[in-house]
Amino acid sequence: MEIMAVNWANALNVVTFSFTMVFVLLVLIVFVLNIFSRIVAPKVRVPRNKSGIDPQSPANPLEKEYVEAHLTAGQSAAIAMALHLYYNEVHDEESSVITIKTVERRYSPWSSKIYGLNNLVK
Amino acid sequence: MKTKKIIFFLTAFLFAGFSFTLNAQNVASDSTVVASTSNVSAQSSGLSYVTESILNFLSSTGFAGLTWDTLIMIVIACVLLYLAIVKQFEPLLLLPIAFGMLLTNLPGAGLFNSDLFAGGHIHWESFVQKGGLLDYLYLGVKLGIYPCLIFLGVGAMTDFGPMLANPKSLLLGAAAQLGIFATYLAAVGLGFTPQEAASIGIIGGADGPTAIFLTSKLAPHLLGPIAVAAYSYMALVPVIQPPIMKLLTTKKERAIRMKQLRIVSKKEKIIFPIFATTFISLLLPPAAPLVGSLLLGNLMRETGVVERLSKTVQNELMNIVTIFLGITVGATATASAFINIQTIMIMVIGVLAFSFGTAGGVLLAKFMNLFTKEKINPLIGSAGVSAVPMAARVSQVVGQETDPGNFLLMHAMGPNVAGVIGSAVAAGLLLTLLG
Repeated sequence: MEIMAVNWANALNVVTFSFTMVFVLLVLIVFVLNIFSRIVAPKVRVPRNKSGIDPQSPANPLEKEYVEAHLTAGQSAAIAMALHLYYNEVHDEESSVITIKTVERRYSPWSSKIYGLNNLVK
Repeated sequence: MKTKKIIFFLTAFLFAGFSFTLNAQNVASDSTVVASTSNVSAQSSGLSYVTESILNFLSSTGFAGLTWDTLIMIVIACVLLYLAIVKQFEPLLLLPIAFGMLLTNLPGAGLFNSDLFAGGHIHWESFVQKGGLLDYLYLGVKLGIYPCLIFLGVGAMTDFGPMLANPKSLLLGAAAQLGIFATYLAAVGLGFTPQEAASIGIIGGADGPTAIFLTSKLAPHLLGPIAVAAYSYMALVPVIQPPIMKLLTTKKERAIRMKQLRIVSKKEKIIFPIFATTFISLLLPPAAPLVGSLLLGNLMRETGVVERLSKTVQNELMNIVTIFLGITVGATATASAFINIQTIMIMVIGVLAFSFGTAGGVLLAKFMNLFTKEKINPLIGSAGVSAVPMAARVSQVVGQETDPGNFLLMHAMGPNVAGVIGSAVAAGLLLTLLG
């Protein structure tokens, strides 16, 4: 009986209005943040990856199209790692010639088996 | 085993004291009758004088004032202390709340006098004569100071980056406020006044300071049960949410891997709190204290120029206010305010509030997947009920049950933080409409 006595119209009005307002307000913030991210967020220019065209080897590099994109944390980490390795861990340039020298004198008293045996006194 | 022994001895001590005091009271009343009939013999006897003094002393102790309902409240306080200490359910809050509850229900101590706040007003004229320690500390709750200071600390501890990187997560935070409004309807249906129903509904926001802020304004007499329900259920988020999340999602949906979030610049992180505070406060002035405090704390964190202040609000201030808030909220749970049918109803509806909030977030994420190119894992929707960061952790754990290589934590932090803003906005709206 108590349930019947409740002013449901008023309660539903409060709920509908409040819930809608929460959504509207947060949607507005989403809208503003999206605009905001286009202006302020850090972006990099990356080549557009068209189907059938390899962005690494364009026919004419000057014609390569670029788009601005956000970097993810993973991509940034990969770039940072690559730069770090490039600048801080640069190896000496080697001749790439394998230089294994053959050992000419294979026998040495140090590795001779005969000296390892016990010469027991008779 | 040791804990059981301590509980047994505590209970035995309480009951022994209680029964002894009851007997003493009976003897005292009997002796008064006897004394009136044989006045001369009683006065002449020195032994009778000593007995009377002892009885007077006993009747002046707190044991004499113990009633069954205060005993029940002491037992409830001990259970909450047990949950906080042994089970470690939100111990930072549950421990001071439970101890405040224990203090306020000790007869004769007079630490908290609810009549000083009767009728929703502060009776300043009686404060000097009657005010106890907890009455003075309670002023921070009553005047809405503590929740704002807590929000200052929460803001300073929270990274809004995941939300700024994925603004759509704000919608999930909004959808999770379904719990507040569904519970409001349920409470109205159960016969609560609209103000009381709004205060009960805000439990669904899973945001302790917001619940306390709104309840202290709209229904201060329900502050005790609502605060206890809000914090207890927040501690039980890992128990309440997973079954609902699994029920509403398929295994395939739970295994969705989301694209990694973009980097958010420092400039964005600094401008956002200033913009959001201005925008929300202009649109919804009653939400300004909560939203303003939250975002001021965040601005302190992000600017990096007030490192000392940021550290202070994150640690010292937050801890001090948590002690005051917990102990005074617990103190409002007096026997007369707590042991009634309303409290039981609030506890039952509180679970519904959390469940509806969880379902709202998950269902909106599923709905968004119908239109968006980049799929959202619906599990992050459940983090839209605030409970920072526990709800986000639940999304991560449930997601990894399906796919151990799926890391949803940072994605879930977006709706989680959005939920804090959403519940503050909802509280502001309810305050505007019903305050």
